[in-house]
Amino acid sequence: MSSSVISVCLLGLGAVVLLALARVVRGPTVLDRILAFDLIATAVVAMIAVLSVQWHTPLFLELILLYSLLGFVGTVVFTFYLHRTLPRRRSGRERSGAAEVPQEPLS
Amino acid sequence: MIEGLASLFLLMGTAFILVAAIGLLRLPDVLCRSHAVAKASTLGIFLVLLGLWVVLGVEAAGLKILLAIFFQVATIPVASHLVALLAWDKNLPLWRGRQRPAAELDPEVEKG
Repeated sequence: MSSSVISVCLLGLGAVVLLALARVVRGPTVLDRILAFDLIATAVVAMIAVLSVQWHTPLFLELILLYSLLGFVGTVVFTFYLHRTLPRRRSGRERSGAAEVPQEPLS
Repeated sequence: MIEGLASLFLLMGTAFILVAAIGLLRLPDVLCRSHAVAKASTLGIFLVLLGLWVVLGVEAAGLKILLAIFFQVATIPVASHLVALLAWDKNLPLWRGRQRPAAELDPEVEKG
């Protein structure tokens, strides 16, 4: 495997992590941040796959399985937790300024 | 031959994950972002793991990579669907499109 392909793939995945971190910082709601962390977990799994292509070893396959499992379980746990605790937003027409305030500490 | 095929798979997978990240950064609301993350990053990680499978060969670790591919393809859309369902349930601000006049736009939806 030529090393330029590996370098391009790792640079692209690093750019993916940076863009997703920008969404984590900017994201208006907490769900955007959950999506961005899901994408970061995917990019890290792809990085592990690219590195095991470079080293030509099957040793990291368990690491790939475990990391994808942990990312999925983390997303599901956050979603079920927020399903109980995230306050339901009022609809757009009858919006009042006070209805948006309880969402702020979570997001 | 095998090197070229694996390089093609790795580059295409990286490009699809990069498209997912750009869509996550550029799209206007939660549902559009979960759409981008679900489809593009699933195809991207599928292609990257397929490239790893092509490099390592079947006899080294065939079934484990197939298990990893199956797991990624099964779980990323489920996680994104859960997030989209929660966003719809909690009535988060939606993007109404550009053809409406500006007064009807939801001001909480982030522009761009």
